[in-house]
Amino acid sequence: MRLRPGGAVLAPAIVGMAVALTAFAGLEAVLLAEGPYEPLWALLLFPAYGLLYVGAGLLAWTRRPSNRMGAVIVAGGFVWMVAGLLNTGIPALIAVGLIVSTVPLAIAVHLLHAFPSGRLRGRASRLTVLGGYFVAVVLQAPVYLVGQGAEGPNTVLQIANRHDLAHVGQWAQSIAGAAVMVATAAILFVRLRRAEPARRRVLAPLDAYGILAVLFVPIASIAVQNWFPEDGLELAVAQLTVMAGLPVAFVAAMLRGGFARTEEVQELGALLNAEEGRPALRAALRQVLGDDSLDLLFRIAAPPRWVDRDGVEVELSGRSSERSVSEVRIGGRLVGAIVYDATLIADDELVAEAARVTALALDNERLTVELLASREHLRVSRARLVEATDAERRRIARDLHDGLQTRLVLLAMEAGRAAAGDQTAAALSGGLQEAIVELRELVQGVVPAALTERGLYAAAVDLTDRMPIPVELDLEPLPGELPVGVETAGYFVVSEAFSNVVKHARAGELRLSISRPDGSLRIEVVDDGVGGAHLGGGLRGLADRIDALSGRLTVESPPGGGTRILAEVPCG
Amino acid sequence: MRIVVAEDQALMREGLVLLLEQDGAEVVGRAADAPDLLRKVGAHRPDLVVADIRMPPRNADDGLQAALRIRAEHPETAVLLLSQHVQRSYAAELVEQGTVGVGYLLKHRVADVASFLADVHRVAAGGCVLDPEVVATMMARPRRDDLLDQLTPRQLEVLSLMAEGRSNGAIAEQLTLTTKAVGRHVTHIYETLCLEPADEDHRRVLAVVRYLSR
Repeated sequence: MRLRPGGAVLAPAIVGMAVALTAFAGLEAVLLAEGPYEPLWALLLFPAYGLLYVGAGLLAWTRRPSNRMGAVIVAGGFVWMVAGLLNTGIPALIAVGLIVSTVPLAIAVHLLHAFPSGRLRGRASRLTVLGGYFVAVVLQAPVYLVGQGAEGPNTVLQIANRHDLAHVGQWAQSIAGAAVMVATAAILFVRLRRAEPARRRVLAPLDAYGILAVLFVPIASIAVQNWFPEDGLELAVAQLTVMAGLPVAFVAAMLRGGFARTEEVQELGALLNAEEGRPALRAALRQVLGDDSLDLLFRIAAPPRWVDRDGVEVELSGRSSERSVSEVRIGGRLVGAIVYDATLIADDELVAEAARVTALALDNERLTVELLASREHLRVSRARLVEATDAERRRIARDLHDGLQTRLVLLAMEAGRAAAGDQTAAALSGGLQEAIVELRELVQGVVPAALTERGLYAAAVDLTDRMPIPVELDLEPLPGELPVGVETAGYFVVSEAFSNVVKHARAGELRLSISRPDGSLRIEVVDDGVGGAHLGGGLRGLADRIDALSGRLTVESPPGGGTRILAEVPCG
Repeated sequence: MRIVVAEDQALMREGLVLLLEQDGAEVVGRAADAPDLLRKVGAHRPDLVVADIRMPPRNADDGLQAALRIRAEHPETAVLLLSQHVQRSYAAELVEQGTVGVGYLLKHRVADVASFLADVHRVAAGGCVLDPEVVATMMARPRRDDLLDQLTPRQLEVLSLMAEGRSNGAIAEQLTLTTKAVGRHVTHIYETLCLEPADEDHRRVLAVVRYLSR
């Protein structure tokens, strides 16, 4: 199970970052005001737009904690501010600013590739973004090592003033940058073509804006340098503003749920709110998220455990390469989990969004499941109780048989031998033999020998042999063995029904059928006696025993109309 | 007489061994489970096996299954089965496979030493012995076309003793009749139940048990 940064952990970090970066922006504003360049309002665009990035990024981070877009945007804001140091007039800071001055472009490329999940998908994307950072950081080196000259800002990093080399370096950077942009445009175009229409409507304008922005900024710089030196300020402001629009556009699209399958998630809400034909929650999620293996688990509080829709306890297996889990919470309270196919739904955030939308519906369903679970719990514990009783019966029978009875037989043997000519010993021997017979009957009543030795059919036949009226037997051959509990219950049905017939029914005929429909056990005892039997006494206990096995015992016994006792017990 | 005793409860097993040895028999093997019994019978070729029906490894009817195998593989070895509870179907299966040298008794009959030892000797001598309780169960089974209704109480007594494996002489002694009178009853029983007359006592058991198990 992947732990998502929860609100409690995330909030201080977000606040801390906000405070630190705001302080940094303030410091930079002061340095810019003190610096040699004019006009100040234009210079202040760096910290201002930097803060815009940071704000947008932190908003995205808070609202979509599992999405990495926020983190990348915040990093972009920081780089913006650092790039702004170029204009402070302090040599060391100028050097730092110069080094990162084109990194915001690389970050813009990164955002374009990473949208919407914040993760880079595919080798081509990763290579292109890496290429972007290479162009922005490494190919920037000639600019501050050998470039700028007297008219540009001096840097402490300058090792030579070779305008020609700097020029070549700049061209190399421009060409490599153009290559990165072409690759980006191609990748995004392919992605757009593959996307579903809904997603494409959101992605297309965003991609177009991003690509144009990244192209516009360097081209504008070249244009200013070569053709419109007098319009430098206006173009620089335009460059900055175009770039500053990027995080706003991305975050807006992201928070609107504008990426991925917004419409589907909205549709999910609609499906769940429909008055009629409302599908079960799981079916709705499967339909909307397009994963037929998706499953819902519910969290039951006491004792804490996961259960499935039938209330049966399940193990929540950890996240694997194929199965992913998204926890569903309401106000921090864990209510359930969505288990889905990670290869079908690549975007965790989509499932997290669906989890948020369906949390209340899921919690509702959980209440029903909780009832089922407690019923199941009860059933299992009753079944265990019956099982324990049976085991205890078998133990008692075995102990009586192996211990007491054997001793009695041996004692009777001794007494019998001593009895030759001795009246008292003979009486003793006789008494012992009677005790043995009584004990044997007791043991037989506790656990019938035939049931242990040969199973239900033999035991039923043995009971039949001892009935005073003819019994018509209808025994279907048993496919495979019966579970011990079911077999024992079956035996008690037959013996209780038979003993009722003998005691009350005044029946002339009796029929016993045992069959195995669908692998379950079905026992029917029908007599032609006086009827009027009801589910009390021995039958009541039997009904409870069968109920604990999820079976059913029915008694039909109209006065004067015979009695039909039917037991159906599943064997699974 | 060479005997193998098979019984999983040590106390009971030793009691049986003691009883048989005091009677002059030679106990050549003691077994605590069915496979052990089969091994020892194969090794010692005893005259008689006295075995409990319920034995390991399955603790079900392992002793009965072993007995049926012994009867098939070593016809010269007689088998006396002891059981906690007697069942008609076990008796029927046993005699169906052959009525020479087989016995089926409730375990506690051992306590009546004299009569138990007499049964041991009868089985070892090739006779057939069924527990009176099995026979009583068979006799008491209700039938739709009950030919037994046409028998007198005395004849029913004779029929029971026939099923237990008694000879005419033994029946006469027990019921204080003459052997001739018993013979007449037997003939009447054969005719009434439409049984094929059989000279030998053990074949008579089979015929009667078959009839009673219908």
